[in-house]
Amino acid sequence: MSSRRDNRVVRWLYDLFRVWKREVWFSFHDEGVIIFFLVLCLVYPVLYALIYNTETARDVAVVVVDDDRSPDSRQFVRALDATPEVCVVQYAASLDEARHLLALKQCYGIVRFAGGYGRTIHRGEQAHVEVYCDMGLMFRYKQILIGVTNVQQALNAQMLQQRLSVVPVNISSGTIRNEQVPLGNTGMGLASAVLPAIFILVLQQSMLLGICMLHGGSRERRLHNQGVDPLEIPAGVAATILGKSLCYWMIYILPTIYTLSIAPKFFDFPQVGNLRDILVLVLPFLLATSFMGQALKIFANDRESTFIAMVFTSVIFVFLSGISWPRCSMSPLWLVVGNFVPSTWAVNAYVQMQSNGATLAQQSTAYWMLWVLAGVMFVLAYVVERFICRRRYRRMQHYAKRDPMALIREEYRRQAIDVLPDNINQADFGTPGGAIEN
Amino acid sequence: MRLFFNESIKRGLVQLVRRQLYWLVMMVVPIACAIFLLELMKPGGIQRVPVGIVDLDNSMVSRRIERNLRGMQQVDIVNHYTNYRAAIDAVQRGDIYGFILMPDRLEHKALSGQEPVVSYYVNYAYFPPASMQYKGFKTITMLANGSIAKTTLEATGLLTDQGVMTLLQPILTQVHALNNPWLNYSYYLNLSFIPGLLALFIMLTTTFSIGTELKYGTCREWIAAAGRSIEFALFGKLAPHTFIFTCTGWMIQFLMHRVYGLPLNCNPWHMVLAMPLFVLANQGFALTMMCIVPNFRYGTTLCTLLGMLSFSFCGFSLPAESMYPWVHAIGCVVPVKYYFLLSIDQALNGLPLYYSRLYYIALIVFIAAPWPLLWRLKRECIKPIYVP
Repeated sequence: MSSRRDNRVVRWLYDLFRVWKREVWFSFHDEGVIIFFLVLCLVYPVLYALIYNTETARDVAVVVVDDDRSPDSRQFVRALDATPEVCVVQYAASLDEARHLLALKQCYGIVRFAGGYGRTIHRGEQAHVEVYCDMGLMFRYKQILIGVTNVQQALNAQMLQQRLSVVPVNISSGTIRNEQVPLGNTGMGLASAVLPAIFILVLQQSMLLGICMLHGGSRERRLHNQGVDPLEIPAGVAATILGKSLCYWMIYILPTIYTLSIAPKFFDFPQVGNLRDILVLVLPFLLATSFMGQALKIFANDRESTFIAMVFTSVIFVFLSGISWPRCSMSPLWLVVGNFVPSTWAVNAYVQMQSNGATLAQQSTAYWMLWVLAGVMFVLAYVVERFICRRRYRRMQHYAKRDPMALIREEYRRQAIDVLPDNINQADFGTPGGAIEN
Repeated sequence: MRLFFNESIKRGLVQLVRRQLYWLVMMVVPIACAIFLLELMKPGGIQRVPVGIVDLDNSMVSRRIERNLRGMQQVDIVNHYTNYRAAIDAVQRGDIYGFILMPDRLEHKALSGQEPVVSYYVNYAYFPPASMQYKGFKTITMLANGSIAKTTLEATGLLTDQGVMTLLQPILTQVHALNNPWLNYSYYLNLSFIPGLLALFIMLTTTFSIGTELKYGTCREWIAAAGRSIEFALFGKLAPHTFIFTCTGWMIQFLMHRVYGLPLNCNPWHMVLAMPLFVLANQGFALTMMCIVPNFRYGTTLCTLLGMLSFSFCGFSLPAESMYPWVHAIGCVVPVKYYFLLSIDQALNGLPLYYSRLYYIALIVFIAAPWPLLWRLKRECIKPIYVP
């Protein structure tokens, strides 16, 4: 009895090994899959980093409408032009001219001094500077706002000093200085904030695309071989899923180290995380992603429809991860939806580790949630494989038994091709394609 | 001639009807994605970012700062931490996005002229909430400073309430955010990301539908059905797509500008008529790619690559003029950039059409671009080589 059970375990492990071996063979003999698994992970981080590498916007163009033309307004404009954020490109004679320039996109902001600006200041009253910002991009508005606020504070402090010199009080008495300390992304750049999240998503999406493409290829082989994939290893559902996942896991070791540890070095992105902690975090992430890919593969019917079915999800997953729109502002529905995507947990944990130096213990919730997600995704992949895919294969074999041409005819009907083209030979459908030796 | 025309259209329609995938990616998924993004950012602005407070002084001044901070809509004080170490730990755990630290003897130092420093620690690894925190913390610390200076100066009896304010702030800048005074993130992100997604679907569907002809070896029959005219063949195949995508686009515009209240400050026809141009421009772009690389796999890969990267290099978040010149240049070759600029000009800013004329022309150029290259696609269709 015991030896029979041992035999079953050994048999199962042997099946697992064969599935793993065959999947490795598939992955390295398919140009498309190699592109997804390796080339994409190699190229995308660099490409994205290059796009955002300037990190911030310098010298956002503004025009000045100066109805005062006093030394004070000119002083403000000089100081504004000297800030790194803003560049004064032109003086406009009137607000209408400035609006015309704004519409032509020769500037993105208008700074206006009303008549009597200088006189108001010297009378000891409060003078106003009006600033109008184009809101096409939030980034430009932010830069103009920072530039203008800094100039205002500097000039105010200067004037306060001058005025208080005539008042009998201690100048420095009653002042609190304030200081901003940026954490995580000390340069406050856009690339350093966005790219760590993109790196994790590149890993996830490339793996999902690759898995779906492999499945598309398998389905195409089934169509041409009477519902049987001659290259597939006949094994149990769990062994098939786990064997394939182990293969993807193994293939992704190098791309992961490159993307999460080496690529940030090229561009000097935040990299204070402990590599060992990051790799331990990534283990359940990759596992959950590989199971997720095997659950989502039902949406890929052939190799190329993978693109249509999967590519757009990248944008959705970026938003769900909370890097563009923070999770603290999401409604409970989207928080729950986001929790079901491995990248959400991995992105937040990786960003905290790599940018803020968090340890794995501090990110233990994300880590354990990734393991839970791996379990959930495994169950999902199991259900998909056992109750959807394998049933489909049996149905395909059933139809093919009655008519060898049925599958291919149905496929062509779906493509709205009513006449089989000349280059498909009737003989191709007679016998299953030659299976390679295991 | 008319027969060939009818035959092409019929073939195109039959393909559309028989393949569920087309209906999904042409109507269901784009609209679902638009609703997702609009619904996600429905609150508009980022508010009440969770932050912490480290008060080492526990004085009247520090408590007043905290009370004022609690009244700000930008931040939400979720916890008090006993020291810097505990607060940093909370940031690393992701419980808070930042904290304000009030040092020991803050009040004493402030009143005795020793200029204490109130620091605020902001986690810039998350950009949008960081900007909000900066705004909240900066305002509060400046107000605290002002209130102490005001009390000191009023105590001298030399200045009135109004006089103190003008003394402390002789220059006041009033920043007006044109057409988006609420700094609504949805206005800014959805005007670019939703058309970006739609463009991706249009390009992929176009390359997919042409590519399947190449893949299944039916391209010869496809051209023959259209009387050996590639123009008729393409018209028959793509005109139904144009129609459906345009309807989807109008539906999305309706959702954006009417249901979710994104600004539409121009004559609505300017945007309504831009949609068919946008759809055609993306089809033209995808067709150009297929003509340059008349191969299913490579054509689709190229469109996917450019479609996905267009979210970045078109300058939807970082201004295009701040990028490297070559990135800026690549951004100019995809149609979605011009639609984005056009919607900023028209829908957001409500400018006269004159200022957006070049963007409409650019979209038309994309429609015309594939015509000189169609011979390459035709040659490939007549002598197809499928690279698996």
